[in-house]
Amino acid sequence: MIVACVSSHQSMTGDGAKTFIILLSKLLRGLQAILDKREGSPFCEDIQRSKRDQKHCHSLKQISQSLLTFQTHILDHIMAQDLRKHFLSAFSSWEGEIGRDTMESILEAYFCGRIGNSHQKLLSQLTCDFYYRCIPFINGKNEMLDLVNEYFVELHSAVTGLPVSNSRILEGLVLHRDFAVYCPADGDIRLLIVTESIDSALSPSGLEFVVNAEVQYQASQVWITKRTEAIMKHLQNNNIKVLLSSVKQQEIVIYYAKISGISVVECLSSEEISLLCRTTGISPFIPTQDNICSEVSETMIAKFCQPLVLGSKRYVHLGLTRTCAFEPHCVIFCGPVHGVTEQHASAFHGAFKMLQQLFKAVDLSDGCEQPENTNNTSKTVHCSWQQSATQQKFIMENISCNREKVNDQQLKTSMAETEKQFIDSSSWVDENPSCNQTDLQKSSDLAMPLVKLESDFMFSALIDRGSSVKELQKPPLKCKHPSEMWVMNNSEPVVNYQRICNDAMTAIENTSVSKQLDAAQEYWKPGNPIVPFKYEKSYKHTVQSYTNLVIQAGSVLPVGGNFEILLHYYLHSYAKQCQQPKITLISTVIADALLSIPKILYRTTKENSFTQVYFKATSALQTNQQLPMHQQGLESVYCKYQLVASVLHCLTKLLTIDLIIGIKRPPQKTEVNDSEDDL
Amino acid sequence: MSRIEAKKPSLCTNDPLTKERVNFSLSVFSGIVQSCYGPTGRLKQLHNGMGGYVRTTSQSSALLGGLSITHPALKILTASVRNHISRFSDCGLFTAILCCSLVEHFQRINFATCTVTKISRHLLSLCTDYLKSEACGCRVSVDFDSIKTLLSLVRSILASKPACMLNKTEANHLSTLVLKAFLLTIPHTIETNVVLGKCVIIPVKDKRVMDSTVFPGLLIEIPEFQLARTFPIKRVSSSTIKMALFCISMSGDLSSIGEGTVIVHHGISLEVAVLDQLLNLGKQLVNDQVGLVVCQKVIHPSLKQYLKEHCVITIDRVGVSMMEPLSQMTGSQPIAALHSVSPTCYGSLKDLRTESFVSKHFLHLIPNDTLVCSLILCNRNEMAWDELKLACQTAEHVLQLTIKQPLALLGGGCTETHLASYIRHKVCKALRGCLKLLNSFKMTRNLLYMGLRTELKHLLCP
Repeated sequence: MIVACVSSHQSMTGDGAKTFIILLSKLLRGLQAILDKREGSPFCEDIQRSKRDQKHCHSLKQISQSLLTFQTHILDHIMAQDLRKHFLSAFSSWEGEIGRDTMESILEAYFCGRIGNSHQKLLSQLTCDFYYRCIPFINGKNEMLDLVNEYFVELHSAVTGLPVSNSRILEGLVLHRDFAVYCPADGDIRLLIVTESIDSALSPSGLEFVVNAEVQYQASQVWITKRTEAIMKHLQNNNIKVLLSSVKQQEIVIYYAKISGISVVECLSSEEISLLCRTTGISPFIPTQDNICSEVSETMIAKFCQPLVLGSKRYVHLGLTRTCAFEPHCVIFCGPVHGVTEQHASAFHGAFKMLQQLFKAVDLSDGCEQPENTNNTSKTVHCSWQQSATQQKFIMENISCNREKVNDQQLKTSMAETEKQFIDSSSWVDENPSCNQTDLQKSSDLAMPLVKLESDFMFSALIDRGSSVKELQKPPLKCKHPSEMWVMNNSEPVVNYQRICNDAMTAIENTSVSKQLDAAQEYWKPGNPIVPFKYEKSYKHTVQSYTNLVIQAGSVLPVGGNFEILLHYYLHSYAKQCQQPKITLISTVIADALLSIPKILYRTTKENSFTQVYFKATSALQTNQQLPMHQQGLESVYCKYQLVASVLHCLTKLLTIDLIIGIKRPPQKTEVNDSEDDL
Repeated sequence: MSRIEAKKPSLCTNDPLTKERVNFSLSVFSGIVQSCYGPTGRLKQLHNGMGGYVRTTSQSSALLGGLSITHPALKILTASVRNHISRFSDCGLFTAILCCSLVEHFQRINFATCTVTKISRHLLSLCTDYLKSEACGCRVSVDFDSIKTLLSLVRSILASKPACMLNKTEANHLSTLVLKAFLLTIPHTIETNVVLGKCVIIPVKDKRVMDSTVFPGLLIEIPEFQLARTFPIKRVSSSTIKMALFCISMSGDLSSIGEGTVIVHHGISLEVAVLDQLLNLGKQLVNDQVGLVVCQKVIHPSLKQYLKEHCVITIDRVGVSMMEPLSQMTGSQPIAALHSVSPTCYGSLKDLRTESFVSKHFLHLIPNDTLVCSLILCNRNEMAWDELKLACQTAEHVLQLTIKQPLALLGGGCTETHLASYIRHKVCKALRGCLKLLNSFKMTRNLLYMGLRTELKHLLCP
């Protein structure tokens, strides 16, 4: 299970597998130590001393529950309140541009842990080049990254037997097949995609072909040949120069293609075909009786289409002109052996996954404060912007919501579902509980005064499952959740509010984090065209503050355990303030576990021992200074945040299990062994 | 909670690459490759314990292909050497020896691996920069106007393969042949995209090496009885023979009918229908004055008979490997249709002759523009022939690479000695500047020097 958790985390963020395991093992050890002490442990207070094992299990369950609470509320809270002032933004301006040197330092820090130091520089340069050459315009980066991650296998090729330094980026795409027919052509080349054989068979499946005479058979053979010839002539007349086929074409097709001067590439994989369709936005051509005579419209234009010799293999090199948010480029990895190229390719892929994560943001629903980076006047300006944008958005939402008929019953059932889901997975529980609670309140008592609703909304997140954490600091009132502001400003909010919550809940029902984030992003996008032109520049910022982001897109921190030290420090200070013994304990355990990572990082260096670094950092924090920076590299905060969240999730899952039951192949139980004691 | 099954320890081992094991495997491997190196190297016989094919060789490509290596570190080494061979054909043994001796020497001094990589990378760039520079003393530019350099290039490749069993005159003769064959594959007219032709190697075993020859054009083996009945040939003019090249089966069997069912009424034979089509095609070919029909697959005997009656020579079953040189040489396009053959697909030949060697009979297709040639390679026994073929292919590939970059290096260890002294000189110069790096540099320089000297030892000492 741990391995599954690690690999799913790794496949999402492309990084942090080792840190995951270190952190998890430290956490488990820390918890074990607490359980071993027993006496005085807050988890054992209210348990009758009847059975040892039962008690043990019970306390574990309690730990897992409080972990859940911790993850949902305290972690986000600390991230938002304390850590965020240390974040640096990777973007050089509000438009979301990312500076090349920043990019390089992020990538170098990433590759540092992935491949040997002899090729780090080269590969990070390569990645950086690839990013900037693929990206057509600034706002298309998310789409481009998605595409690159999805089709990475098709976008890289490996060559063995050449030195690593020969790795390069090629313009256009490389199809991993050779030409079946190659006819050189100049200028703009029109390409066509086919997914079935152009030559028709004598009797297609499901049909019967009756031969009455020998002449008829000959005639039908001739007809088939003539038809193929006609199709190829038609394609030639439409000025098509290259035929890309996903299936193997008959020899006769090849023959006529050669006569008509059309190059043919056969046996392309379905992924390559879909990549081509995605980048060019066309669909495959199907020859039928009807379109034989009409104009062929679904073509794409290539600047060049030529054979490319890579190592001992011949490929097709296509220079496509761009039609979507991806400037087609591909990478060629060279290396002495297959293993090296494979390692480089996976590191490269991981880097793009990491970048994808870097540009994501985390939002938080319980009203937390806005970034305190601007002075008061600008803040008020922002607020007004917020409001206008917000109102417009809500209008949009109302329109979209009118279609849905919401009643309380429906709400309750859906709430029950989310609740259940929450207990089951609970990997991502930002706004979920709060919305739940608010809805509960509202459905039970619609006449509740607005002010009360407001305060309930604020604390609702904390009443969850009886673990009363009301001591949580009340966020400053002046910077409230914008939707609340709106609620106060208008007199008929309750129904709308419910709808909004409902919308949020439907968004949440997508269990995976990325989906939810996408949904959330799309959710706010409709507001874009309405926002007046002069606000557009600040729009991004407005949206960010509006959704109360814990982590802004593109937040970075210097490498070298800075994130861990910061989180450790704030968790400790939080634990000191907190009156809840359970939470205090959990926080301390997590904080100590986090510290193990910088400990390992600084293990080898002599001048910069861990204690020195730690001491410097904490003293700087206490005096509210900037953190001392030792290294050049930067790392994505989102990835780190995701890592901590994943580890806690995995831990929760582990702790809720009390028995492992081994089952042999027939579905009956055979033996019962082992508890998680040994984990 | 009882435990029934004992927990198995996980399979993670702390250190899979213990020094002793690496050293042992490495020394065995380097012993193998070092003893093979150079013209005076010893041969290795590869054979399976169960019997079967035995190969005697000293060439790295054959050697590494035959060895079964289990140690992971050594696997990486051999894999990179094999990949090097697949790119450049030559110098496999040199690469292997240099790798082994470098690793062995580096292990002897106890440096951190990252220092070793840094230093060796620096030295490598020093070497390549020097070799690329004009000042390099061991570099010879290859002049394509005279064959002297080219010939010595080929000879040095052939002569360093002792398993070919060549004496000096034989080596000279073969080098000339290989070079001649290579020059025949270069097209006369230079366009933007230069495509080299092909040299087809035809095996004739149990004859003397001196009997090997090169023919411009293609030699296609035919059975003896066909030899007598091939003439006269129909010619378009005295120096042109029209030729048709087919890439589909002309055997008269039914072509693919699709996935549905075909119902044939009683008394109707589809085979007859197809044969009819074939004979019609034959008629068209005769009318188009085609003098030679070549088919990749089988031709129906009736069609063969019909064409023979009209003085058309047929060659079938030439196989897919011959299709590309055939179409390249004659300018014909492989035809895939049985009806309405377009006359543009026909190619032309200059002449057609018969040749015979020992017990083999060939049809010699002489093209107008020689892009394709046939090298008849003879050697006394099969093992030596295999080795010779590999050596000839290597030489051909090296010549092709030489076109890309017309530079050669001095052989016989000159380059290596020169490079070693260059490094020593450079390092000494650098040492004056930075005393701090003294130790490491000195050591590495010695190592590299020693590594290179090992090469020399094996080149020069008998």
